[in-house]
Amino acid sequence: MRTASALAAASVLLADAARAATGGDGAGGEATSGGLPQLDPSSYPSQIFWLIIAFALLYWLLAKRALPRVADILETRQDRIAADLDRAQSLRQEAEEAMARHEKLVADAQARARAELDAANERIRADAARQEAELERSLARQLAEADQRIAAAREDALKALEDVARDASREAVGRLVGVDITTEEAARVVADVRKQAA
Amino acid sequence: MAGPLEQFVIKPIVPLPEVAGLDLSFTNSSLWMGLAVIASYSLVMLGTRHAELVPGRLQSIVELAYEFVASMIRENAGKEGMAYFPVIFTLFMFVLLGNTLGMIPGSFTFTSHIVVTFALAAAVFVGVTVLGFAKHGAKFATLFVPHGAPTAILPLLVPIEIISYCVRPISLSVRLFVNMVAGHTMLKVFATFALGLGVLGVAPLAVTVAITGLEFVIAFLQAYIFTVLTCIYLNDALHLH
Repeated sequence: MRTASALAAASVLLADAARAATGGDGAGGEATSGGLPQLDPSSYPSQIFWLIIAFALLYWLLAKRALPRVADILETRQDRIAADLDRAQSLRQEAEEAMARHEKLVADAQARARAELDAANERIRADAARQEAELERSLARQLAEADQRIAAAREDALKALEDVARDASREAVGRLVGVDITTEEAARVVADVRKQAA
Repeated sequence: MAGPLEQFVIKPIVPLPEVAGLDLSFTNSSLWMGLAVIASYSLVMLGTRHAELVPGRLQSIVELAYEFVASMIRENAGKEGMAYFPVIFTLFMFVLLGNTLGMIPGSFTFTSHIVVTFALAAAVFVGVTVLGFAKHGAKFATLFVPHGAPTAILPLLVPIEIISYCVRPISLSVRLFVNMVAGHTMLKVFATFALGLGVLGVAPLAVTVAITGLEFVIAFLQAYIFTVLTCIYLNDALHLH
């Protein structure tokens, strides 16, 4: 403020200088020669009177008519924004719910698929185990049959060997000793020898 | 050529008969007060004519002014201050339009008269003081007792506080008045130089143009300062401290 008043003083001085420089205007009127017109109290009543009227009028116009309109506009906008935000919020919530539903659906499907997969696996495993057991059984059976066949063959072979030994013994005895022994005797002797050897 | 102070001369336009010995003639000052009223009111009414959701240019200006004053009150005088929004908005628009209409060449700046600015400041002062006492009763006087001051120096401090409080309308009005007078006088002086110096007058002409820009800033700034100080005074009355 001090600079402002200094400025004012300076400009008044400058104004005087300017007037001096331009040779003065002579007809500056009583207002300038009497200093600042602002300090002339004769105009005060009129100024204050019209100030009161103007200010009161403006206050009435603004307060009663103009400002409510502005407030209305701002309020409408505020409401609109709030409503839009609300709607956005509810839409977002809906979207989130849909998302949750979707996720649940996917999770359910996955769980079902996994269960089915597990069941199928189980089934396959059981089948495999069953087939394996069957195979094992049939193998064991075939093995047993084979064993039996081998044993029978061995027995036959041994028996044939015995017959060969008996016939050979009889033949040998017949040739060497010249005694004809019966087949039965020969068989008994071979059996005795085998017993002693065993 | 007119002197730099002649722009401040009050000239009657419609002379009225004296009332109770007072001359209440309709003058150039009254005319520009009326124009300020019409301009402020028209601005707001035209700006809100379409009441668009997305404001146009004029509506933006009106809304900006509205929000500007509203936030000024909220920041300086709190929520309770909003009850006085219409009067403070009126004050802001009246001073702002008074200042800016005064920038029109050949117009009259009614805010360059101390009696006008003082009447406004005094109204603010009286209003705020009455409000303070109405709201807080005698307790409002504690405004003059600074917090945490030692009792011993209170006899010194309280008168100082009272004086500084009572000086408010003077500082408030003189600030606006002097700024307007200084700016307009300076403009006139430099414009006179521009005319008087012939070809060399280009330099003061450039200065005049620059000062014109500066004066528009000051016109707004002083309206803002006047209003914001009113809000601060209002805050004292509403909340003590």
